[in-house]
Amino acid sequence: MSLINTIWWIIPLLITIFTGILCPAMGTVLITHKRLLQVNLISHCVLPGLALAMALGVDPSIGGVTSGLLGALAAESLANKKNENYEAVMNTILAGSIGLGVLLIPLLGIRIDLEAVLFGDLLTANIGDLLRTIFALSTFIFLIIFTYNKIVHIGLDPEGAVANGIKVDFLNLALGFTTALVIVSSMSAVGVILVIALLSTPTLLGLQKAPALWIAMARSSSFGLVISLLGFFLAIILNLSPGPLISVLCIASLVFLKNVK
Amino acid sequence: MTSLIAENLTYSYSKHSNPVLEEVSVALTPGTLTALVGPNGAGKSTLLNLLQGHSKPDKGKITINGKPLFNNRTQVSLMPQRGKLNWNFPITVEGLVSLGRVNHSKLSCCELEAALQRVGISHLAKRRLDSLSGGQQQRALLAKTLMSPAKILLLDEPCSALDPPAREGFLLIIRQLADAGLSLFISSHDWGSSLNSYDKVVALDKTVLANGSPQEVQTKLDSIDCMRGSYCCG
Repeated sequence: MSLINTIWWIIPLLITIFTGILCPAMGTVLITHKRLLQVNLISHCVLPGLALAMALGVDPSIGGVTSGLLGALAAESLANKKNENYEAVMNTILAGSIGLGVLLIPLLGIRIDLEAVLFGDLLTANIGDLLRTIFALSTFIFLIIFTYNKIVHIGLDPEGAVANGIKVDFLNLALGFTTALVIVSSMSAVGVILVIALLSTPTLLGLQKAPALWIAMARSSSFGLVISLLGFFLAIILNLSPGPLISVLCIASLVFLKNVK
Repeated sequence: MTSLIAENLTYSYSKHSNPVLEEVSVALTPGTLTALVGPNGAGKSTLLNLLQGHSKPDKGKITINGKPLFNNRTQVSLMPQRGKLNWNFPITVEGLVSLGRVNHSKLSCCELEAALQRVGISHLAKRRLDSLSGGQQQRALLAKTLMSPAKILLLDEPCSALDPPAREGFLLIIRQLADAGLSLFISSHDWGSSLNSYDKVVALDKTVLANGSPQEVQTKLDSIDCMRGSYCCG
């Protein structure tokens, strides 16, 4: 029992490390593909799925990934139609999804710690959260290893990629699915809302003068790891919530970026 | 030797819209530098997309050495307009060029070096794409196009946004490629003296207005009064 009491921090620490590496690497791909707004949509679409899954007695992460994926499909369809107002439509779906999630919680009579879902509760993370994070990390690594050149081609020259026979729609969908996985797996660490900060800020640092996408990803992950670990240990020392603290550190690193520039 | 013949191409973006191309016929022969000129909205990029096989015409046919384009798409390579590319993407010149390989098959350093030398930027191989000038970026994009096995190159407004010396340098490179036996079809807004650098000119405005040597086309267009204002931008 005393052993459990002394190593309680191992699972949260491992989740911090994996999330700190995974989110910025994923963010690098998404930012270079100009898809960050779609990530925002996916992250907000997760909540209704979580609520429904809990009401049905299914693993909440399955519901979260499913509704996140539906959000990804909606985003993909909107982006493909090239409607000039698609950003406004996307934001409407985004706001509607989070509203639907909040409404479903009392309507279905379930109990969800909304604060933990939105802003994370890393210090109470369990082995299930850790396994979800490892699964998301493995899926991302698998995607990168087998489709790296195609991802680079799509990010640089989407129409040329289509002409070169690359299944761009399929790969974009795979990216959307992996993004939904990453967001749901990062819930315990930083929450669905604050995950956006971890997807964006380290990437801005890592992209500076990087000569290749994989180098930008490696640099972003290094910055993300430092920010996450710093947030984790400061949260323990100061007895604060790690998610918001990591997000505040992201803003601080933006100031650092401005000075470096 | 690879020749492309397009006959009576008609194309519209949807069933209910008016055609953007009507009864367009062109022939591209090896070792020839052909300019495709026309005003904005004339259908130049649409025609290049059809010739590359990216879109299918509603009517008409495209053949390469007598065989349908569909079975010979690797014989045609398209260099897109500048605006289609994400120039801030983290990639070096050699990284960009190696993407030109069909199906991203392995590329030897000699092939890469040869492509960069043909466009005169081998010294820039390790530089990041967004650190180059507009002219250098266009050369890098041309080197990428040269990595494919295609003998017919379609270049969509490669000289736009280039200053006169860079444009001249670029035209010199594509002339060398034509002299080496490639067939090049280059869309341009430039209807000035620089058209004399081409072997043939096709003037397009939804349909082919004139087709022949630069002098023949210029004479024909001069006789079409209403077109003069549209073309005189060089």
